[in-house]
Amino acid sequence: MYHLLATQVANQEGFMVQNGKIFLVMTIVTIILIGLFIYVASIDRKVSKLEKR
Amino acid sequence: MLRAKWWKVLSFVLLLYTCTYGFLVKVPKLDDRMKESIRNFFFHVPMWFGMMILLFVSLVYAIKYLRSGDLIHDVYAHAYASMGLVFGTLGIITGAVWANYQWGSPWVGDPKQNGAAIALLIYFAYFVLRGSLLDIEKRARLSAVYNIFSFFMLFPTLWILPRLTESLHPGGQGSEGNPGVNGKDMSASMRFVFYPAVIGWTLLGVWISTIRIRIQLLQLKKEGLV
Repeated sequence: MYHLLATQVANQEGFMVQNGKIFLVMTIVTIILIGLFIYVASIDRKVSKLEKR
Repeated sequence: MLRAKWWKVLSFVLLLYTCTYGFLVKVPKLDDRMKESIRNFFFHVPMWFGMMILLFVSLVYAIKYLRSGDLIHDVYAHAYASMGLVFGTLGIITGAVWANYQWGSPWVGDPKQNGAAIALLIYFAYFVLRGSLLDIEKRARLSAVYNIFSFFMLFPTLWILPRLTESLHPGGQGSEGNPGVNGKDMSASMRFVFYPAVIGWTLLGVWISTIRIRIQLLQLKKEGLV
């Protein structure tokens, strides 16, 4: 019963726990990348504002 | 060019592709030598490619400065060199982490590792030189000359000497027997991630450099130097 439940949970989470949870790492790397780009883009905008002055 | 948008978006798209498909793409098994760590090809190696490209751009602006005497070219050369060095530093750190698990120690004295460290140290002296000169014209001129010298030191340290001896890195003599990876081990499907990764990381480096250039130019304008 417990085993059945465990596989069910695994199926629900599915993708993220396949292949030694490497896709969890993928998700985290992607989040960091998006955050980094948002930050660089915001600095870019700030410099553009300064240039217009 | 400094403010154009399309290549910044391209950089984001390519890196998003690298950081997702780079984990999904099927990689060669290589009799379990590397396992999943071969995916470092999409992250560690583009640092070095990016560094070389940015340092080359810096070299071009250093030569341009010497020909024109225009301070703007010095600003460009400096910004690209520092971003190149950021990539190089990240490359050597990621390399040490990878080596720890693949070769058994963070620093194994591999010829390419040593060569990369020497190349970086030579470039670090570029910033020491810049920091030690107060006269702007003199600083620009001397650092441009030194910049050219340091770029050409990449030839022996990174591109020639490591290939003449046995190396754990791909490309060295006897690399067929090394426990790491051979350049030919990269499968065709891996190349579809690797080259976009190189372009993506390089464009991100260019973007950050241009922001630095723009800030520096604003500063110089304020001081009435350009």
